Amino acid sequence: MPAAKSEILQGTLDLMVLKTLEAMGPLHGYGIARRIEQISDDALQINQGTIYASLVRLMHKGWISGAWGTSDNNRKAKFYSLTKSGRKQLNTEAQNWARISGVIGRVLRIAERG
Amino acid sequence: MLAWLRALASRTRAWLSPRQVDQDFAHELEAHLEMLTDENIRRDMAPEQARRAARIRLGGLTQLQETNRELHGLPILETFLQDARFALRMLRKNPGFTAVAVLTLALGIGANTAIFSVVYAVLLKPLPYANSQQLFTVFQVQPEEGENGTDWSFLNFDELRRQNSIFIELAGSQFHQLTLTGRGEPTVVNASVVTPELFSVFGEKPFAGRAFYPGDGKLGAPPVAILSENLWRDSFAADPQIIGSTIELDKRSFSIIGIMPASFRFPLLNEPDQIWIPLVQDPVFGAFMPSRDGHWLRVTGRLKPGVSIAQAQAELDALGSRLAAQYPTENRGWQIRMAPLQQMLVGNVKSALLVLLGAVGLVLLIACANITNLLLTRATSRAREIAVRTALGAGRNRIVRQLLTETAVLGLLGGAVGIGLAFWGVQALSSLLPHGFPHVNAIRVDHFILGFALLLSLAASCAFGLAPAIFAANANLQSNLRGGGARSGDLAIRRRARNFLAAAEIALAMVLLVAAGLLLRSFAKLISVNPGFNVQHTMQANIDLPSSQYSTQQQWSDFAVTLLANVQAQPGMQNSAIVVPRPIADGQVNLAFKIEGNPPISAGASRTADYVSISPEYFRVLDIPLLAGRAFDRRDILSSPRVTVISQSLARLYFSNQDPLGKWIVFGLPPDGPVSRQIVGIVGDVRNVSLGRNPGPMMYVPYAQSPFWGANLMVKSSLRPASVAAAIREVVRKIDKDLPVTGVVLAPEIIDASTGQSKFRTLLLSLFAAMALVLAATGIFGVISYSVACRRNEIGIRMALGASRAAILRMVLRETLSLALAGLALGVPCALAASRLVAHLLFDVSAYDPITLTTVAVALAAVAVAAGYIPARRAMRVDPVIALRYE
Repeated sequence: MPAAKSEILQGTLDLMVLKTLEAMGPLHGYGIARRIEQISDDALQINQGTIYASLVRLMHKGWISGAWGTSDNNRKAKFYSLTKSGRKQLNTEAQNWARISGVIGRVLRIAERG
Repeated sequence: MLAWLRALASRTRAWLSPRQVDQDFAHELEAHLEMLTDENIRRDMAPEQARRAARIRLGGLTQLQETNRELHGLPILETFLQDARFALRMLRKNPGFTAVAVLTLALGIGANTAIFSVVYAVLLKPLPYANSQQLFTVFQVQPEEGENGTDWSFLNFDELRRQNSIFIELAGSQFHQLTLTGRGEPTVVNASVVTPELFSVFGEKPFAGRAFYPGDGKLGAPPVAILSENLWRDSFAADPQIIGSTIELDKRSFSIIGIMPASFRFPLLNEPDQIWIPLVQDPVFGAFMPSRDGHWLRVTGRLKPGVSIAQAQAELDALGSRLAAQYPTENRGWQIRMAPLQQMLVGNVKSALLVLLGAVGLVLLIACANITNLLLTRATSRAREIAVRTALGAGRNRIVRQLLTETAVLGLLGGAVGIGLAFWGVQALSSLLPHGFPHVNAIRVDHFILGFALLLSLAASCAFGLAPAIFAANANLQSNLRGGGARSGDLAIRRRARNFLAAAEIALAMVLLVAAGLLLRSFAKLISVNPGFNVQHTMQANIDLPSSQYSTQQQWSDFAVTLLANVQAQPGMQNSAIVVPRPIADGQVNLAFKIEGNPPISAGASRTADYVSISPEYFRVLDIPLLAGRAFDRRDILSSPRVTVISQSLARLYFSNQDPLGKWIVFGLPPDGPVSRQIVGIVGDVRNVSLGRNPGPMMYVPYAQSPFWGANLMVKSSLRPASVAAAIREVVRKIDKDLPVTGVVLAPEIIDASTGQSKFRTLLLSLFAAMALVLAATGIFGVISYSVACRRNEIGIRMALGASRAAILRMVLRETLSLALAGLALGVPCALAASRLVAHLLFDVSAYDPITLTTVAVALAAVAVAAGYIPARRAMRVDPVIALRYE
């Protein structure tokens, strides 16, 4: 089902955004997108705009909050930061992710061997 | 769940300010673009190129904006709003349909909301006391004598109070008017005469000073009084030094110990100005306290938490038996019962209110049936539009939802207009409410009532919208698309549905009309009943005598003689008399009596008659016929032998085969108690309690032999009421300037007011029945009109084949009549069942009154035929040439 697929993808992006905010502290959309690209050694070339859908979803859930501020080079930008419940959520999500990716990895290895 | 709520809140916030969201996002994207461009420039790109590359990496701006808007929106609400906007457009395009539907619905909703606001205030709203569900009235009943609820004597109450283990506390109360003097004009205040526990039973405290202590209720305690806040403000100018000062009530000094907040009212519910004094200080009821006889003290108690009603009743039963065993003379045959205070306060209003609520419910049902019919009719003309939508891919649910949204919009419009009507209706109702209606000041349209109206509108729109919507969504797509309209079974089903609804409207209207007809006939009989007396041109007035100044019977009767002589001396006064208690206005004083020489009747069973004390002229003033013997005269004074005049029914019931004249009967009130009196005359029966109650046995005594501490004056005069009233006041002022004259009013007005409740419910029910009749007639008119419109071709063919215009007219009228007859057939059993519900409100009319039933049936059939006549005329004028060409 297409819905399920996109949900996983969305979830992954959301998780990455959360993780980025945890690591970097308050950051604007550009910064987050840039950071994700860098960490993935530019392997993950996303359309940077997609980050905003993820940000809106996370805002609705109350896991991040946004506020207008000034960027390094004096530009007005909206800065996002992790909320308390976002931090908690990140922990559970990260554990889930580790578990799932572990399982998937094992399954894939078995499949390769088989 | 919480996350879901938060998301909804955040979405709603965003949805409420869409422009803000768009702008914010545009700024954000712009900042992003600039940062990307900067980055590209740092990588040595030309500015132009850098900007373009940045755009590519960010993605399509419009699409991003679109996604953002969607993420922020509320999709279901948006569809609804879209549907609602469309619905409004459709309604605007059909102003006739919209006006009829909205008005019909507004009438239904308005009437329901107005009546519900009364029902809510009177029956549903908790009493304005703390934990009011624990408050109960405790009363005495004597089933064998048909006495099903009466008050207590003080000594019996005292026994109840001491032996009680189920109530936290019990309090007794009565009501008496006292004269307040020493502060300008003498005024009469409403005094609540209570035992000291009253305030703690209700869990209320004075906002200044103190409540009564138990000692205040003891004999010999100094007189104290508690003021209501209103009285304190109105009569004492909110004097802050009032606590501890003294006032004069009936010429006795009372020191004021407290002020109760305006919100507390008991036992008088509708009087903002009151004063509370201990029972023992009241000149009237205080004197009754040492007696176990009599039933005059109302008892209210607060049940202990955790005690069930059954437990409490068992306890009361036990106490009742103990009282009967211990004091058989007064308590044999009596039992003790309790009922929620709410129920007691509402009294007999409840059943009438429920009948009215049922009636407006029916009116709303008829209104809904009418609108359903309109919608079914319109559905045919909209079939093509819906077929196109379906063909273009709208799902069945989507269509039903859209049609339901349309009816919901219609319902809300009707509801809004209805609420406007309700505001007006509640005002009109409040002015119509009969005197003494409970909780009058709580009747208003508040947010709770508005919520009710809103829910009712939505429920109504579901009721009238669901069937047409489902019909429409299920319609045959192909035939509708072809444009010929449905020709198949659909049409037949719809026609049957319409006919059924029209017949049902007739049936419902019949129920209401029969009920209203019964009440009308009953009311007509009630007001034309002969009460046995005639109070035309009679003015009445009360003069209360302060007990400290007028303390002996001789003083009371001397005052009466002086008063009557002086009134009589005024020009234009035909006749005047004194009577206590007055017929209708004051209720009854029912006393036991014994006939001397007759064997004593078994204990417990007693003979009672209504006791009235009158001056000699009374029978002449009220035209009560003297049937035998003599009336009282000047010789019947305190020192002469005791005499009495009895009523015809007393003579008939207890002296069936002997002449009562010259016989002696024993009865009396304190202070004399039962004394032997010789029967000197017999007078005609009167309805002294209420017009609706058959005359009972009565015994009259001379006022001079059994006077009261006050006088109810009745003056017959052909002068203008205002001058009679002025003359009475002047006479009293000359005798004693400190005596207030109250209740100066024409006696016929009192009699009229006594039928107020009956008039109120009759008027309202007739109004609702009239609404039902109009709605049902419109319903019939709509159905027949539509049927005629559908049958144009058929009628054209018939005429082309030679049918006369008269035959066409007859055909349509026959159709109307058969609808009406079907409705009546349905309506008769419903009406008969419903009449049972109003049976107890009827006076001298059977619930199955054949005259009412026949009249209503004939009238309904006539109205239906009249409603069908207009479309029938239209059918008659169909031009066959045009009708056939149309095909």
